[in-house]
Order: sequence, then structure tokens, then C-alpha cells
Amino acid sequence: MDEAVRVEGLTKRFGSFTAVSDISFTVKTGEIFGILGPNGAGKTTTLEIIEGLQKPSQGQVTVLGMNVLKESARIKSRIGVQLQSSAYFDYLSLRELLVLMGSFYGRRVDADSLLNTVGLLDKAKSRVAKLSGGQKQRFTVAASLVNDPELIILDEPTIGLDPQARRHLWELIRQVHQRGVTVMLTTHYMDEAQVLCQRLAIMDHGQLVAVDTPQNLVGRLQATYTVKLVLTQALNGAQLEALQGLAASVQALEGNTYILRLDKTPRALDKALDAIVQGNISLEHLEVAPVTLEDVFLELTGTELRD
Amino acid sequence: MLTLTFANIKMMARNYHTTFWALFFPLLLVVVFGLFDVGGGPRPATITIIDDARTPAAQELKASLAQVHSLEISNAPGGLNAARQRLAKGGLDYLLVIPSGFGAAGAEQPPVTLQYDAAEQERSQLVEGLVRDLAIQAVQSPGSSAAPALVRAEGIAVNKPSYFDLVLLGLVGFGTMTHSIISIAVRITAYRNQSIYKRLLVTPLPVWKYFAAEIGAHLALALAQAAIILGLGVLAFGARFNGNVLAVFAVVLLGSIVFLNIGFIVSAWTNTPAAASGLGNAVALPMLFFSGAFFATTSLPWVLPVLVQGLPLTPMLEAMRLIALQGAPLWSTWPQLAMLTGWVAGTALVAVKVFRFN
Repeated sequence: MDEAVRVEGLTKRFGSFTAVSDISFTVKTGEIFGILGPNGAGKTTTLEIIEGLQKPSQGQVTVLGMNVLKESARIKSRIGVQLQSSAYFDYLSLRELLVLMGSFYGRRVDADSLLNTVGLLDKAKSRVAKLSGGQKQRFTVAASLVNDPELIILDEPTIGLDPQARRHLWELIRQVHQRGVTVMLTTHYMDEAQVLCQRLAIMDHGQLVAVDTPQNLVGRLQATYTVKLVLTQALNGAQLEALQGLAASVQALEGNTYILRLDKTPRALDKALDAIVQGNISLEHLEVAPVTLEDVFLELTGTELRD
Repeated sequence: MLTLTFANIKMMARNYHTTFWALFFPLLLVVVFGLFDVGGGPRPATITIIDDARTPAAQELKASLAQVHSLEISNAPGGLNAARQRLAKGGLDYLLVIPSGFGAAGAEQPPVTLQYDAAEQERSQLVEGLVRDLAIQAVQSPGSSAAPALVRAEGIAVNKPSYFDLVLLGLVGFGTMTHSIISIAVRITAYRNQSIYKRLLVTPLPVWKYFAAEIGAHLALALAQAAIILGLGVLAFGARFNGNVLAVFAVVLLGSIVFLNIGFIVSAWTNTPAAASGLGNAVALPMLFFSGAFFATTSLPWVLPVLVQGLPLTPMLEAMRLIALQGAPLWSTWPQLAMLTGWVAGTALVAVKVFRFN
């Protein structure tokens, strides 16, 4: 089977509010697929429909070739899920929790082996409440593996973690992926999406804005650098025209802020900086950076990624 | 499912604070009632009437006795022998036998027999006088020319349960009820708030298995709690226990299922563990005071004595007391068991209807 997940024309409404609006995408077997978007974009709702926690208002979703509405129990037995906000039973050790979780799937779990995989064997007798944020997240990944799943779904796996813990978790996700497990995750961290995901769906306000590899998404911009200008006053017509002549695109944001995307022509950055100095532009702050997914998101949605 | 049941028992047992306080209060009351002679207050005397005469005079005597406020007519399932046994075991205060020929026209009036606890001499003399007056009144009613009837009073040795014997079983009911209602309601609201249910719902575990495991674990702890309370009362304070302990445990299980169902309903109507605990107490405490755990419900005012018969704790306590104090077999408490079974069915229907995972 080439497709682990197929989503077609999916819409989810809560009363008059549309959380997910007519989205379609596929997750290929064996890939790490990410859904990138700000909070409220509809990522978690989409995942919960795939996991069988919610029913779609419209559209079709198949997981491992099975319809989520008709074969929910069979799907659940073959996927692993890590929820964004789930806790675990109090008063049980990590080892006991994994054995218990395994029993939900009718499986005898080698808890120590799983804990070893996520680097928590020395915490086997501890309770979840005693773990650090990074350890908790690694444990949730271990818990999602108790049934030896073909697909694991991770909702914001690194949210709230410090940079070091995030990198540890990325490494763990890669290890799981190397065992042949298809990984589907959501994130609102651009770097995470760029580093970890082989393909990405970008969502905003319940809509799917783009689906592609991170490289192709960045390549769409036809730019190499972005220059972010924060000015004390807005550009006048002549200044704006001068900058537009040099950049692939100029985007105005709130607060007298402008984003210049420089194309791949030689010395484009030098020319842009000269134009800023010579154009008597009242500069408060300037940033130059290579083009990233953040610029892709900005270009596609017209807004910066919100928390 | 067994794994989850044992995990639940383990979790509840490791939750030392909750387990301690769930047991502490009933045990504290066992100690208080065991150490101090706390009386249960006045209550009407119970009398069973065996009518072998079936004459108008016998009917009138029975009707007159029913009008006496200080006497409560108790039915006589099982006939004379069963009533005698109840009297001997303290389940009954008086047994009145109206012999055949009582109130028959022209015949010499055979005496009615009044049996009572020989230790209650003073009160029994008053009751004997009352019965004599009413018997004479009955046989001398218009149309009757019979001679005045006599009362033959027989004091017998009665092994009567003390107030502590009665209240100990009330405390078993109290512990079962509060632990079942509040524990399950608080756990469910906590699990709901922590998204633990969401985590369970993404596994293939059937929902009924989860509920069966929760109920199974709570029932096991309810039995342990009942055993500890009864053990302390009997072994440390010499409470009487004449019946089959397994039959008492069967009643505890049935009652616990009713209260667990009520706990499921309470959890559906509350959003936080604190609110669940508050509402659980608001449901349990009035039931505790109105169901005869600490004092006889017959002394309640207005229509309350009738209304409290409909509460689930009332038949549970009645059945446990009949079994434990009078040695009644489990099957003989079928009216109480039937009412509890009705409560199981009714509360289960409501619980299924209102329960929510989110």
C-alpha cells in the first residue's frame, strides 16, 4: 500500500464554526509527514478525525486503506497515537503503564525494551509526574509504540520543550521512522517542520494552503535572502518603488514593517542595502536571513506564524 | 480487562490519602459508637400478631392495636415459628397470638398470648395492660355477650441487638455509599480533565471493558472496606454478628453497584473533582441520615418514614441487619434485594444516558 492516510474533501464544523474546510492530502507509507500551522489552524481537529476521536462533517478519510467511520477499531489497533494534552494514570510506574497500555491492544509488552528505546530504562519505576517535560514526551512516544504500529500520529510532540529536549525527541522520531514506521505529526515550529518532515501540509484558518517537500516549498519563492525592515515611518511611494525594483517581492506588514525577498541574481543583497541607505529610509531595525519555511508561510498566508 | 481491573485496584490502594480518609471516617465512628454508649433515641415497639381466630373480635383487636402510636405492626412472614425466632433474636419486641375461639359467641374466651423480652419488664407491663383493655373491648363489642378475655403474658430470654450492633451495619452502608459515589465521581472528572479518557479512546479497548474494570475494582475495595469495618466492630468492640458474612457481602456488592451508578451520574453533572466531591456528599449525606444508619426512620416526622423506604440505602441496611443480626438467609430478604435491583437498573439507565467522556 502506497498511502498510509488519504484525506479527501474533509470538512469539520462545530456549530457555525468551521474548524477544517474542504482539505485533501495523502500521507505516503514510510514517510515523515508534517502538518504545519499556527494554533487554531485545524491541525489537531484533522488528526483527531484520522484517529477516530471525531467524526467528519463532510469528506472521506481512510487510514491504512480502511475507512475511519467503518473500521475505527481495526485502525486503532494498527496505529499509535500521542495526543497533545493527554496524561496517564497516576500511581502507576512507567513500566506498569506500558504493560497496561499494551493490554488495551491484547499484547504482552516488553516494557523495558521500549523504555530503553526512548532512553528511560533507568526511570522504569518512576511515575509520569516525576519526569521532566522532555522525558514525559519521550514516554508518550514509547506509549504510542506499545502495539508495534505501522503509523504513529504525534500531535505537537515538542511543544513546550527546551531546545536540547526538542533535538533529542527529533532524534527519537527519526529512529522510530527508520524502523519502517510512517510518522505523521503536527507542529507550529518552522525549524522542526524543515528539519524533520519529508513532506509538509501548511494549514491556516482550517484551510490547506500548500502540500509539498520543505525544499520545494522554499524553492517556490524564487528568493535566496529575506530582508526584514522595521521603520520609524512608512515608506513613501518613491521609496517603495525603488525597493520593488530590486526585490523579488516586497510585503508590507503591520507596524511599518516590510519584508523584501531578494531573488537569486548576483549582488542582490548589496544593491538592496545600498538602496536603503541612499533612499533615506528611516530605519529602526534590519534583519537579513536566508529564506526559510517562515517566509513560505508568510507568502502563502499573508501573516506571520502566530503562537 | 483483568489487567485494567488490577491496575485500578493498585492505583486506588496506592492513593494512600484517599484510601485512608475513605476508611478513616467510618472507622472513627465505629470507635466512637463502640466506646461510648450512644443510644439511638426512642422508637416504637414492634409487634407481630398471629391471628388463629379470624373472628370479628380478633379483627377489631388488630385494628385497635394498629391505632396505637407507640406500637408498630410488623408482618409475620413464615408464620408463628418464624415470628418466635425473630422475637428470640431481638428482631421483634412483642408477639401476640390470638387463639382460635377468641370472640366466638357463647364460648369461654381463651386468653391471648403476649410474648416479650423478659428484660423489658417495665414497658411490657404497660403493653400487656393495653392489650388486655383492647381485648376486653373487642369481645364486649355490641352483639357480643362473651366474657372478658384474659391475656397470658410470657417473658422470654431475648438475645436483642444493641444499638451498636445496629449502627455497625449502618456504618458499613455509610462507608460503601460514600466511597462508591464520591470515589468514582472524582476519578471520572479528574480523568476527563486530564484527557486520560481521550488517550483511552484512541486505543481499541472497548468502552464496556473500561467500565467493567472500574466497577470491579471499586467492588473489591468496597468488600475490603466492609470487612475492615465489621472486623473492627466485632473483634474490638464485641458487636454481634449471627448471620452469614457472605450474604452480607452480597448485599454490600449490590448496594455498591447502585452507588457507583449514582457516582457515574454525579460525574456527568460536574466538571471538576472538587465539584464532584461536593455534589457526591450532597447526595450521600441526606441519604445517610434518612435511611436509618444511625436512628430508626419510624421516628422521622410527616411522610418521611414512607418516603425514605424508597431510598437505596434503606433496603440495603434492612437486608444487612436481617442477615447479620437475625440470621435471616439471603433469599428471605428478597423484598429488599428486589428494591436494590430496581435501583441498579434505574440508575444504570440514567448513567448510560448522561455519561460523557469529554
